[in-house]
Amino acid sequence: MRPPRGSGRVLGVVLLVALLVSLADIGMLDLGRVVRGARNLGEFAAAMFPPDPSSLPTLAEAMVETIEIAFVGTAIGFALALPLALLASPVLFGPAVTGPVKLVLAGVRTVPSLFWAIVFVVAVGLGPAAGALGVALYSLGYLGKLLYETFDGVDPEVVEAVRSVGASRAQLARYAIVPEAANGVLAQLLFMFEYNVRASSIMGFVGAGGIGFYLLGYIQLLRYDLLLTALILTLAVVILIDRASALLRRTFLFPVSPPAPGE
Amino acid sequence: MRVALERPTVRVVGEERTVLEVRDAHFAYVRSRPVVRGVTIHASPGEVTMILGTSGSGKTTLLKLCKGLLVPQRGDVRVLGDEVAAPRRGRLDPRVAYIPQQLGLVRSLSAMENALVGALARVGTLPSLLRLMPEPEVRRARELLGRLGIGHKAEEPVHALSGGERQRVAIARALMQDPRVLLADEFISDLDPLTGAEIMSLVRDAAGEGVAVVMTTHEMDVVREHADHVVVLREGETSLDAHGVPDARAITEALRR
Ligand SMILES: Nc1ncnc2c1ncn2[C@@H]1O[C@H](COP(=O)(O)OP(=O)(O)OP(=O)(O)O)[C@@H](O)[C@H]1O
Ligand SMILES: [Mg+2]
Repeated sequence: MRPPRGSGRVLGVVLLVALLVSLADIGMLDLGRVVRGARNLGEFAAAMFPPDPSSLPTLAEAMVETIEIAFVGTAIGFALALPLALLASPVLFGPAVTGPVKLVLAGVRTVPSLFWAIVFVVAVGLGPAAGALGVALYSLGYLGKLLYETFDGVDPEVVEAVRSVGASRAQLARYAIVPEAANGVLAQLLFMFEYNVRASSIMGFVGAGGIGFYLLGYIQLLRYDLLLTALILTLAVVILIDRASALLRRTFLFPVSPPAPGE
Repeated sequence: MRVALERPTVRVVGEERTVLEVRDAHFAYVRSRPVVRGVTIHASPGEVTMILGTSGSGKTTLLKLCKGLLVPQRGDVRVLGDEVAAPRRGRLDPRVAYIPQQLGLVRSLSAMENALVGALARVGTLPSLLRLMPEPEVRRARELLGRLGIGHKAEEPVHALSGGERQRVAIARALMQDPRVLLADEFISDLDPLTGAEIMSLVRDAAGEGVAVVMTTHEMDVVREHADHVVVLREGETSLDAHGVPDARAITEALRR
């Protein structure tokens, strides 16, 4: 069905008006303020240079902790998400099971990891353990969804073939769904880890460990030169992990399409 | 004495031991468009039954009904007298092996592991979840792959195998089930004639051991050479059901509307 003529233009005008109203509402059409902001940013940028490397040893240690938070959080989140994602898979269970499980995952996912970290700081005290648990819980909600969507996408012929041998549901999960989805699962896991490294780098804002503690401290002390060092370090680590996961993907993923007939 | 010897014993055996019995089966994915409309088929051990029909005539649907993956809305499907339909998501009867058109092999698992999938109904849940397959099953799968000519590829992941090698893996998985019925959908359509003939002789071997083979195909050459029993579907109805040496004219006639 084609939309009626001219409705595209109407939609464009509506969107433009909405954008202008929103800009005004949040104070971004206030010219004086924009100019002031630009000047402040300029000063801020100037204060960042040159970056001060004297804090590198401390920062490196904090960075290691950040990665550990992300790693532990991803691992725990994955361990919890995998069984729940299987419970949410319509191939294996009826709506009476999948419905509630999906709801729980959605609920967990709604809350950002930083907020979960605050909850765990209250529960287990300040430090990286709270950060890791916060990351774990958010990962559970997010990975759970990514995984059950991956499971839903498994080739139905493979599921039918394995069901046909008389396999139980647990066997179907173990021998058809999980191995067939392995590519996707690995990709989601790497994506989640990368995401979690970034999330973990601000866990320190709420006292939940990692490099965020220093990021916040340098901002409060107006030590933007130290801040830049920390940011460069974070960027370097994120790029490194990105590269490493690209390498992992190349090494472990198997081709999805079958070779041409008669090969 | 002499009279008894002259009896056509093969025929008696065939009639008495129908393993797969489809009786007046009806099926529609969408209520208004029935796909299988009152099909009745008997398949006997040792026989290769070939189902022909133009695209969309309901061949795949019929095989799924035979496997119990779909449940007929009218009529029934029995294997050795038992209804094959399982409760939704319940266990299906391992005595019926099913090889779907794209084979349904698990691509990231090895040939060996795929063959072992055929033994799952005999393995307890816990050991199978830990991938601890009983030694005799492993030995048998290895032997079977060897007999099918891919013993040297046993540890290769399926995605690294050729089309013909994959079909052998699919046969191995099916035979690991100790099937009484082997259902295969367009089994050798994607192969070159030589490999196709090799695979067909493996299927014949299975039939020789008393399996009732039911396969769909488009190729008349394959039908002429290997079918003991031909069923032609036309728009979900049987337009030909003939035993013995297939008559190409009659088949062509039955295929046409
Ligand atoms: N899952 C489904 N949902 C709805 N309709 C379906 C489904 N699967 C098959 N059909 C329809 O049922 C009819 C028969 O399909 P089927 O796959 O059994 O035919 P076929 O004889 O195997 O054809 P082909 O030779 O192309 O494989 C077709 O019209 C098809 O569109
Ligand atoms: Mg088909």
